[in-house]
Amino acid sequence: MSEPIEEFFERLSAGGPGTLPPRTNGSLRIDLGSGATTERWFLTVEDGAASVSHRNAKADAVIRTSKDLFEGMVTGRVNAMAGALRGAVSLEGDPTLLVLFQRALPGPPSRSGVGATMTGRRS
Amino acid sequence: MSDGVVKILDGNTFVVSDSRGDIEASLTDPTGLFSFDTRFLSTWVLTVNGERLNALSVDDLQYFEARFFLVPGTGTVYVDAKLSVIRRRAVGDGFHEELTILNHAEEPIELTVRVDADSDFADLFEVKDALKKKGKYTTRIDKEGLHLVYERETFGRMTTISASAPVAVDEKGLTFVVTIEPHGSWATDLDVVTAAGAGGRIVRPKYRHGERQAQPNMERSLESWLDDAPQLECDDDRLRATYRRSLVDLAALRFSPLVAGGRSLPAAGLPWFMTLFGRDSILTSLQALPFTPELAATTLQALGDWQGSRIDDFRDEDPGRILHEMRYGEMTAFEERPHSPYYGCADATPLYVVLLDEYERWTGDRSLVRQREHEARAALAWIDEYADLLGNGYVWYQRRNEQTGLENQCWKDSWDSISYRDGRLPGFPRATCELQGYAYDAKIRGARLARSVWNDAAFADRLEKEAADLKRRFNRDFWIADGGYFALALDTEGHQVDSLASNNGHLLWSGIVDKSKAKAVVDNLLGPRLFSGWGVRTLAEGEGRYNPIGYHVGTVWPFDNSFIAWGLRRYGFKEEAATIAGGILDAAGYFDGRLPEAFGGYERSITKYPVQYPTACSPQAWSTGAPLLLLRTMLGLEPVGEHLVMDPALPSSIGLLALLDIPGRWGRMDAFGRGRVDVGSSHTSPGRRRTGSRSRTRSS
Repeated sequence: MSEPIEEFFERLSAGGPGTLPPRTNGSLRIDLGSGATTERWFLTVEDGAASVSHRNAKADAVIRTSKDLFEGMVTGRVNAMAGALRGAVSLEGDPTLLVLFQRALPGPPSRSGVGATMTGRRS
Repeated sequence: MSDGVVKILDGNTFVVSDSRGDIEASLTDPTGLFSFDTRFLSTWVLTVNGERLNALSVDDLQYFEARFFLVPGTGTVYVDAKLSVIRRRAVGDGFHEELTILNHAEEPIELTVRVDADSDFADLFEVKDALKKKGKYTTRIDKEGLHLVYERETFGRMTTISASAPVAVDEKGLTFVVTIEPHGSWATDLDVVTAAGAGGRIVRPKYRHGERQAQPNMERSLESWLDDAPQLECDDDRLRATYRRSLVDLAALRFSPLVAGGRSLPAAGLPWFMTLFGRDSILTSLQALPFTPELAATTLQALGDWQGSRIDDFRDEDPGRILHEMRYGEMTAFEERPHSPYYGCADATPLYVVLLDEYERWTGDRSLVRQREHEARAALAWIDEYADLLGNGYVWYQRRNEQTGLENQCWKDSWDSISYRDGRLPGFPRATCELQGYAYDAKIRGARLARSVWNDAAFADRLEKEAADLKRRFNRDFWIADGGYFALALDTEGHQVDSLASNNGHLLWSGIVDKSKAKAVVDNLLGPRLFSGWGVRTLAEGEGRYNPIGYHVGTVWPFDNSFIAWGLRRYGFKEEAATIAGGILDAAGYFDGRLPEAFGGYERSITKYPVQYPTACSPQAWSTGAPLLLLRTMLGLEPVGEHLVMDPALPSSIGLLALLDIPGRWGRMDAFGRGRVDVGSSHTSPGRRRTGSRSRTRSS
């Protein structure tokens, strides 16, 4: 099992800022690869709190993609929506759940000098 | 061809053709069948015995269907019209066309009917910028018909064309060889279906599901939409026509993003901007709140779902930021454009909180406010933590995507819209004045929601304290005392970008203006440099960059004026608000009730009629919403607690006005007013007109 993916799901189930909005509810299955070697992640989300397993069960929404691409998504190198638009990520089921899930994915690793990095809260 | 263009649409699927119903797209000719920002047909040409047809007339029966009446032959005079050809086209998941040919002759006739078809699968951005494609094209013929396919890596799009009548299909189109009896007819159905994925699932046109007539994609038909809106009764025929036009156009502009579960929100413009926009969807929802509050609910849900959650320079995304624009085409898919979605706008985020509060004040729907507490708090946090680029307590913008991001992230988004009096342009970042007003209003309204719905008095106190501080600093730093108005922006040195612009009206709307300064601001808004007689110009006459036909530097924008009128009402200047409403509604009369995005800033007394600024999209959502908001401001409608309060001030030309069955937390209410404000044809100093509108309310 690839490390970045495991780490992502650990962070997700630990909760905290930058994870799922509190009104997120439902089940989401992520199928990585295909056939006998498919790696499955099963998320059950209650009011934004996620628990993770590897069950192969029916879910409200399903994401199917390659392991490489998903690793890109959880490390911020691949944008999930763009991936879905070009057919590299297939999405099924509850669209709201899928949109809320992608909010938990990190941004690209590099940052420019402008914007958020320049902020300083006024006291 | 630019004249005789026929546009029909359903959601974000639309067909742009010439008046014959033909499509012959080229780089300079943006016709075609478009869906999800991709052109699925670039050629669709009908010939009979090798001859093109001539249009006798076109009926755009509904916004989603059109009927073309044609005869063979070219040239200006049609002779020997032994044949009539009727194409009836309805759009929805592709389009459906009923082609009928009538033989008027005494003898039978043999015809070769040909439809040429092709697709370049251009992304909307490619149509705009004339860019080359990177994928490969294939064509396939099978028992389903003709499949036009485009593939680039995992990206695939397909158009499938089929007919109900016996047909010979080749790679370039369909051929029918038909014999029609004397006074007889021949007909075929043509289906053009779009699909994502090269071998993808084919979605049938919706009217194939047992219905002959296409219905709009939305849950609600046009009829029930119109029935449900308040009824307008008044002496002024033009106002009645404008009101109806606005409601019908608003129905056409409804767009249902996937996350909305079939409910709809206002897209920005028809047909090129039929997508989710932060600013346009929010402002149009605000304008339409007293009429169709469901648009606001869907806007809040969809924009909230897509709220930014991370730092992404390419998309100008920050945590808490509300998106600017969403696109679905190939260039977005391959990250050649950042619209998946793109977040580069500085006003949608505070305006999200403004809409949430205004929505609750009208509808009493506290459950949505509770459900979106997370988003509203994140939006309020964005104002302080991510928008304050210089750390001095103001909202600033500067794009981080230097290649394809937006330079100006306020509603005046053209390159030269923000300038000093002498015409110089300031550097970046920029803090335009209306952004500070929106931020102030968001904090005040956020505080109300925190106290009344989220049960967080400490947060409410903090927001109010911050708002008061912002207002105090703003009235000090942006105020140009010798001009009696607020600077358009601050530059990075803290200097005032000192042009006089319509943004001052938005400041009144937000409530950030000190009461003591309001009169001077109003005198400027209604004064000769800004007020043209039709409305308030975007930039005042006499400024370095003023141009009466400059996009954001002198034209009059109906949407802008509707919010300015709201601002005038907020500070008690109801006759001045009526003056603006009268000017804009008069202008609407010259456009058959459909206000353009903008019209020239020429003096009304000189041109006599408003000169339309040419734009690609019509109707434009916030221009469509402008008459609605102006009705609200003229009647002085304001929700107060559980009640709807009214305080009419109408131009005398309108006469008696009744708006019946206004929906809200009170159920349905009626409002009445009589025009008493004399609106001059030119700028006259306000404040010396007769007042005394009567109001009466009735609960039902």
